[in-house]
Amino acid sequence: MDVLEVKDLTTHFFMHEAVARAVENVSFTLKKGETLGLAGESGCGKTTTALSIMKLLPPGGRILNGEIILDEEDLVKKTDREMKDIRWKKVSIVFQGAMNALNPVIRVGNQVAEAIIEKENVTKGEALRRAGSLFELVGLDSSRVTNYPHEFSGGMRQRVMIAMALACNPTVVIADEPVTALDVVVQTRILELLKELQRKLSLSVILITHDLSVIAETCDRVAIMYAGKIVELGNVVDVYKKPLHPYTEALITAFPSIAGEKRRFSSIPGDPPDLTSPPSGCRFHPRCPWQDETCRTQDPEYRSVGLDHYVACHPTERLRAKLRGERV
Amino acid sequence: MTAQEPAALQITEDRFWVYRRKLRDFWKLYRRSSLGKLGLVVVLFFVIIAIAAPWIAPFDPFAFVGDPFLKPSSTYIFGTDQVGRDIFSRVIYGTRVSLLVGLVASAMTIGLGSVIGLVSGYLGGWIDNVLMRITDLFIILPALPLMLIMASILGKGIMNIIIVITVIGWTATARMVRSQTMSLKERPFTEASRAIGSTDLHTIARHIVPNVFPLVFANGMIAIVDAILSEAGLSFLGFGDPSSPSWGMVLHFADTAGATVNGYWWYIVPPGICIMLLVMGFAFISYSTDQILNPRLRRR
Amino acid sequence: MVMRDYLLKRGASALVTLGLAVVLNFFLFRIMPGDPTRTVVGDFRVAPEARKILIHQFGLDQPLWVQFLLYLQNLLMGNLGVSFQYRGTAVASIIFGRRLFNTFILMGSSIAVALIIGIVVGTIAAWKRESKFDVFTVIFSLVTYSMPVFWLGMLIILVFGYYLGSIPIAGTISVGLTYSNIFEYAADYLHHMTGPFVTLTLSFVGYYFIIMRDSILDVFTEDYMLTAKAKGLSDRKILFRHAMRNATLPMVSLIAVEVTYLFGGATMTETVFSWYGIGRLIYEAVVMADYPVLQGIFIVMAVLVITANFCADIAYAFLDPRIRY
Repeated sequence: MDVLEVKDLTTHFFMHEAVARAVENVSFTLKKGETLGLAGESGCGKTTTALSIMKLLPPGGRILNGEIILDEEDLVKKTDREMKDIRWKKVSIVFQGAMNALNPVIRVGNQVAEAIIEKENVTKGEALRRAGSLFELVGLDSSRVTNYPHEFSGGMRQRVMIAMALACNPTVVIADEPVTALDVVVQTRILELLKELQRKLSLSVILITHDLSVIAETCDRVAIMYAGKIVELGNVVDVYKKPLHPYTEALITAFPSIAGEKRRFSSIPGDPPDLTSPPSGCRFHPRCPWQDETCRTQDPEYRSVGLDHYVACHPTERLRAKLRGERV
Repeated sequence: MTAQEPAALQITEDRFWVYRRKLRDFWKLYRRSSLGKLGLVVVLFFVIIAIAAPWIAPFDPFAFVGDPFLKPSSTYIFGTDQVGRDIFSRVIYGTRVSLLVGLVASAMTIGLGSVIGLVSGYLGGWIDNVLMRITDLFIILPALPLMLIMASILGKGIMNIIIVITVIGWTATARMVRSQTMSLKERPFTEASRAIGSTDLHTIARHIVPNVFPLVFANGMIAIVDAILSEAGLSFLGFGDPSSPSWGMVLHFADTAGATVNGYWWYIVPPGICIMLLVMGFAFISYSTDQILNPRLRRR
Repeated sequence: MVMRDYLLKRGASALVTLGLAVVLNFFLFRIMPGDPTRTVVGDFRVAPEARKILIHQFGLDQPLWVQFLLYLQNLLMGNLGVSFQYRGTAVASIIFGRRLFNTFILMGSSIAVALIIGIVVGTIAAWKRESKFDVFTVIFSLVTYSMPVFWLGMLIILVFGYYLGSIPIAGTISVGLTYSNIFEYAADYLHHMTGPFVTLTLSFVGYYFIIMRDSILDVFTEDYMLTAKAKGLSDRKILFRHAMRNATLPMVSLIAVEVTYLFGGATMTETVFSWYGIGRLIYEAVVMADYPVLQGIFIVMAVLVITANFCADIAYAFLDPRIRY
């Protein structure tokens, strides 16, 4: 069953001189107990999508269109007041670089507990007790609830953030680059923790990252974003083994593999577009090796091409060949 | 631009255009701020009054032109003081003194502070330590009492007031210039300058000073504000020059004449409003400049 | 452990500054034109017998370095010399008496009230940035900051003393009044304090307000503010629990600096309102060329200010857990 459904979400940033079309017509669903990855280069709109779901956009950001359906309620229509109740209780977020995401002058236990106290009618003692057990859940000693953020290492701070995100048993947890700021060894451990928690608590997670290997390890399905749009969405194995969109293809091949054969580095030529004036037609066309006249003038439709597999690309010969299963 | 022209001239000319562009960019941003423009207008207003004093003032500020303590009228716009002088004329001429002392004292304060800051920041070591200890001391000691004590030792007069303000006020500038200098010292272009054999003085003058200047300018506005208020305070307490009355001195005479207890509001209000407006003018300029130079405060 | 090192370092620094102040105090009054001993005994108001004693105590017939040592010795014993204008009264007794008490009461209450108002209003104004409230309070602060303190005092006397008659025009207590109990006395005292208190508080609240507002705006850019909002906390909790606690930290250091400014403001205010305190003593001593008193006040002031700064350092260490642990 779907716990979250995002339909045609469009968010723009209105600045002094121009408007950045950060997210346009983004649609996806999140099923119960699954981890959906949101992948793409920096600036492609992943974080903006997450902030739109939580209605935490910075000044200048506005959701212009779309629906965000969580527990049968459309979040887009909610007022700020109503969102305050929904936040953390129904959907919470783990930010990247917990260095500054935790208040340096308040004890971590209190920071976790205050969310519980705010949302539920419990005493402070009870809330702190729950914070302690949450700490145990994420692999921290419960006695450390009295410590301050700077007394933890980076990896442990991230565990605190995760514990905090789980405090009110939310339906959906969004993890925005949860391991990017950590070294590889710690990364693995945190990812393992996330997987274990998801299994134990049947969490539904949206994992945002630019690192495809992280997605490969933790996600069930993945949505590839480019320049504010989803270009491909599907089962992780399908997308990785048989990518349909040229961008996905390029991303997968750009990733060097230790085990595979030696080959030259391949990267994607060009730069991501300026979102205040994106390219005409398909936003990826300036960097696409197979673009043609249609790509330059028409925005491709985001449509289903198989069992839970979506792509936003014009039906070129090449794409059709791939769909037939041929090697190109 | 012929090929024979020396490279140094080319560099100087390039630097001129860079400065002009920076100045133009600054002005473009400054124009947006209504507070900044208001401040500029106010300051210019007073400058014009100061220059045009002989033509604007209806009477000689030292002449006894009427009965004492006359209320404001069409002849005596601000009334008369205890010996029958026209207060309006005195306030107009007072603009000259207040403005002049403010500008001169702050210029000297910034000058002294900059030199000390540059020396301390650039040379480092024990010189820096000693200078900073002394700076700390002057920062921590209360300014007005210290000024009063020094004034009592030196005596009355405008020059003494300027000296006192300078000797006590250089600390803020010194600190700021020092930290800027220290951070600039680490930059590559300083090393490069030294590597090609420039003397220390040359390095400081050519490379460090131009980069410190913008911050000093912003700080300078505050120095002017402090100087004007300090001069007003010291004059009010009786250390000004009776023969060239600033606004502070006029208020001093008002106080000794018992203006507050006798309700001679026309004697008290105008000079004070002038001080307030002039200070606000400079404060607005300083605030706007700070908003531009300190990006963290800009609208997010 | 970190805290101990921090405090030791700050303490040592304070002592060095104090030492410099002592040295400055000594030489400042010796650089005067004319007879350098003038500042201790040179006045005609000093009786000949007293003069002999003082010359002996301060070694004025000895070389300078001996004088300095004797000065230090006297200082440690609490001998600050003898006043000119209050013939023969020890400077120490003039300073450490009623006057210091009155100044403390006035300064203490003003700084406390101005701080509280500045912090709270500054926080609210930062939250409602660019609103009418914000604009009004910013302009109000700029205006009061630009007013000379003495002029503000004069205006208050004019309006509330002369026109409305609601506050006394001068003094600490009404002259010649007899009191039946301590409350009557206190009421009269406070009534007299209203004028200078309002003047001082108004002159300082603007500065605290602007600093707090800037500090909070700075804090708003931090990541943990977004986290607080994401947790769905109420506006009030976000503002006062998360933002304010971080924003007031730099304010603590500022308070120490403010004690310095407060001395200046108090001097002016006490003079305008004839409040019987240290500030007014400075003015009187300057006018009467009572150099021993000035020299004594200088060192007392230095000690007070340096101690205040050191206390602020201690307070900061307690409030910022990053230093403590």
